[in-house]
Amino acid sequence: MVETMPRDKSAAQLEWQLAIADELVRRDVTVAAYVPDTRLQGILARLDEHGVSLRSLTREEECVGYAAGQRIAGKRPVVLMQSSGLGNAINALGSLVVPYRLGIPLIVSMRGTLGEANPSQIPMGRAATALLHALGIQTFALRAAADARQLTDGVATMAFDAGECAAVMLEAELGGGRAGN
Amino acid sequence: MQATEVASAIVDTVPDALCVASLGTATSALRAASNDGPHFYFGASMGSALAGAMGVAEALPDRLVVALLGDGELLMGAATLWSVAAYRPANLITVVLSDGVYGITGGQALNAPTRFAEVVQCLGGVTNHRVDTAADLCHALQTAARPALIEAELDERVWPGPSPFVDPAKVVLEFRANVHRSVSPDSRV
Repeated sequence: MVETMPRDKSAAQLEWQLAIADELVRRDVTVAAYVPDTRLQGILARLDEHGVSLRSLTREEECVGYAAGQRIAGKRPVVLMQSSGLGNAINALGSLVVPYRLGIPLIVSMRGTLGEANPSQIPMGRAATALLHALGIQTFALRAAADARQLTDGVATMAFDAGECAAVMLEAELGGGRAGN
Repeated sequence: MQATEVASAIVDTVPDALCVASLGTATSALRAASNDGPHFYFGASMGSALAGAMGVAEALPDRLVVALLGDGELLMGAATLWSVAAYRPANLITVVLSDGVYGITGGQALNAPTRFAEVVQCLGGVTNHRVDTAADLCHALQTAARPALIEAELDERVWPGPSPFVDPAKVVLEFRANVHRSVSPDSRV
């Protein structure tokens, strides 16, 4: 049976997580494609409360392909992933979403930066923003909960109105990760 | 069968379907069979076409969606079969051009077994069919419980003709017009 709601919905929903989800709903997002991550959980639980369809897919590239299908069909999807999975999504972003101008908002939970304890996360943490910039995808670092609505709205406008994929990068300073992350 | 015969069977049997074609042979075949019809042609992004078709299908649940995929393409994005089995969009048919080679890169062998029908049988939730004639493909398109995967076995490799390099802006514009056009009530899912 497909589980449509994140398992630990009871996990604390932080102010910035609620703000991002509420803003996505205000911008008429109807479906969220994602690969699970601790810091995304609160956003997904809130989206679920709003009736947004959740699609937990097998790989970040698949999320991008799925969202591209939603977008070309006229819907408003969002893709959420961890920065370590961004490498899995690069080809679909660079050879589908960007050339077809299927504007999709990305929410990227950053690992491998400030306070990272896992050495295997560090290289992709260093590279994530540069990888997106190399494809012409603008990124906006979110470090304070007070900025969550503005950045999410701005990225949604770029995606849905300008047809440009853009990303909110959830930086470590926001908190919400597991201890040691 | 050749790839263009498979695409022609789809276009003739389910003319109101929204088709999603993976890069290379599938895109060229669908362009040839549909006279460059208003479908979602992938120019690259190998391995993402079934995910794209699933996105279209779930966005438009009352329209039939056909994913036309190369076998190498599906191997690269095979995990999406698990997602289709999980979410089971009832308006999605996947047709695999099964010839055991990578077409657009020069016909190199896949080596990996292309037993997609058996895979989805194991996963459950997706009906599986294997056909080697256009008549059997037409029958499967009309009668298969959905979501369905139809493995179309090709016995002749002929490049369909049209370029697989598409203009993304034209694809998006024409596909969206196709989404909004009125279709026969009988063809609605």
